[in-house]
Amino acid sequence: MTALVVIDRAPYGDWRGREAVDMGFSLAAFDQPVSFLFTGPGVNWLRMGQDATELSQKNLARQLGAAAIFGVEALLVDHKALAAYQLSVDTLSSPAQPVTVSPGLYGQYDHILCL
Amino acid sequence: MPSLHIVNKAPDHARFQTCLAAVADEDTLLLTENAVLAAVMAQGLPGTVFALSADLEARGLAPADIMANIGRIDFAGFVSLTEATSRIISW
Amino acid sequence: MPKTTALSFTLIITGAPYVSQAPQTALEFARAVIAAGHRIDRVFLYGDAVHLASTLACAPSDEPQWTQIWSEFLETHRVPAIVCIASALRRGVLDEKEQKRYQRPAHNLEPPFEIAGLGEWVEGTVSSDRTLYFHPTD
Repeated sequence: MTALVVIDRAPYGDWRGREAVDMGFSLAAFDQPVSFLFTGPGVNWLRMGQDATELSQKNLARQLGAAAIFGVEALLVDHKALAAYQLSVDTLSSPAQPVTVSPGLYGQYDHILCL
Repeated sequence: MPSLHIVNKAPDHARFQTCLAAVADEDTLLLTENAVLAAVMAQGLPGTVFALSADLEARGLAPADIMANIGRIDFAGFVSLTEATSRIISW
Repeated sequence: MPKTTALSFTLIITGAPYVSQAPQTALEFARAVIAAGHRIDRVFLYGDAVHLASTLACAPSDEPQWTQIWSEFLETHRVPAIVCIASALRRGVLDEKEQKRYQRPAHNLEPPFEIAGLGEWVEGTVSSDRTLYFHPTD
């Protein structure tokens, strides 16, 4: 089973993206192949320079930085959404692969999770 | 393998568009909960489209109100759709 | 017409009762799964859906008591139901063991729900023929 966790929620304002990441890391921890796709406002998870100290929240970019340690196969990022939020693939907090979102992309995975 | 896409968000929710962008021509799209409101809109929907009858009825959408190419199904029909494919995406 | 193959299902609910339709849509689907001759391997409550397992929820008498209704369904069909521990502890849904561990004044987990980790969800998605999620609409 190959899984894709879709993160289309902005970071910090609610817990949905965070809970999706927890699920993705669990799949990886149990040796299931999993990749993440950041799209829409979700691409802001990958923005450099995050500091949530004043919010008393964990730094989500740093949390995502553990993806490789957990064994997450790839971080994919919707290139259109990157452009919309003035982000560049060269300056993200974690290395991510730009992709064009299409039915064919989703078709490469057996299990798709979008919280 | 064709996918079954199940969407429950209202048509103007960003997730609804995310879902539509993932539907291939050979896929099936099932509208549930708030998403059944899309059944009266002129917006073309991709794939083979069904809407859950309990959610249509609750929202006052009579069979005459919904677009001709959208099928009405009950929960037994919903289960039948899930029998047809193991690739099921809940948006 | 007889079914060619009975399938196994894992159902994950992520929307809370009285906040979203998720628990009731999931229940109607679950009933239809059983009626069609299939099996439900497990139900997994994640995120806000853990409130469905709170035995302390009291809806007005003219509204469905979703916790009791779900509990009866699970008991009748012997379906294991897991509440994600990380979601549950944060939202104050505890069994007796967690009550003692965290020294809280009460526990409120409705049987037959049990508290466990995300490993149960991974196991379900890997081993069941079908996996479906029931999310909130927001």
